Amino acid sequence: MSTTFLEWLQGTPLAVSVAEEWFPLVESVHVITMAMVAGTIFLVDTRLMGLTSTRLPFSYVSERLLPWTWVAFGCSVLTGTLMFMSNATGYYDNTPFRVKMVLLLLAGLNMLYFQMVTFRSVAAWDAGRPPSRARLSGLVSIGLWCGVIGFGRWIGFVIGK
Amino acid sequence: MNLIAFSHWLESTPLSQSIQTTSWAIPGIQVMHILCLATLFALALNLSLRVAGRGLALESSRSLAQRFVPAMAICLLLLLLSGSLLIIAEPSRTITNQMFYIKMSLLLVAVVLTLWLANVARREPDKPSRLHVAVAVLCMLVWTGIIVAGRYIAYYIT
Repeated sequence: MSTTFLEWLQGTPLAVSVAEEWFPLVESVHVITMAMVAGTIFLVDTRLMGLTSTRLPFSYVSERLLPWTWVAFGCSVLTGTLMFMSNATGYYDNTPFRVKMVLLLLAGLNMLYFQMVTFRSVAAWDAGRPPSRARLSGLVSIGLWCGVIGFGRWIGFVIGK
Repeated sequence: MNLIAFSHWLESTPLSQSIQTTSWAIPGIQVMHILCLATLFALALNLSLRVAGRGLALESSRSLAQRFVPAMAICLLLLLLSGSLLIIAEPSRTITNQMFYIKMSLLLVAVVLTLWLANVARREPDKPSRLHVAVAVLCMLVWTGIIVAGRYIAYYIT
């Protein structure tokens, strides 16, 4: 990405006001929504692995929890974007930030593959123990989200101004 | 011994020293703290929703409380453990920080409200009362406040 664009981005009035005034609040909202995203995903994933909520159908658990996940994810992306804007060149050069973005992408691909392929046979295993492919998908998702959180926290320790 | 002297003493203990000198220790403990808080937050949300007659309503509120309350207790224990390690590692960051005391006061309130909700869930009321819904909402607001106060500790270092 061009440095000119990143410099323009962090020079916009919105980016400057985040950097100078609103960063702690934006970051707090990011942490709250991240907790909602990861926490609800862990509950759905552990059901997918056949470990929790086993008396409830998988599709029911995911239908009831994932709307919370998606709304929180939207707010997380919004607050994350504001934080990125406040120091665009710093984040862009930051290795943990880049790793976090790759892990987010992989978590998305894992979810997409699950929805398009594994979930099609849900009727056969909805009430019981999901097949190994579904359980693996849940495990991969948990691992990737732990990575997203780990590298996300790491960003703050190495970010340069 | 006043708080500042206590904080200096704590900072000089071997445990504090070894956390401080291990580069990955503080970020690692913080990540564990965040993972537990995310899980606890989602469990609290579902308990609150269930008491308010929403969420995983296909399961009896009694059964949901039986599953979720012990899991929440484990998360809280891990949070207290990781939080204590973070205080031991950097006592001057928290012990004299008023945001930390606000967070701990809110934690007491959240625990009381959550236990009250768990108690309601175990009694399995036919319909949620207005009080149940109000406490459920309040409970989630207090847990949210704890997260905000926790994050603001970093900005109120004195």
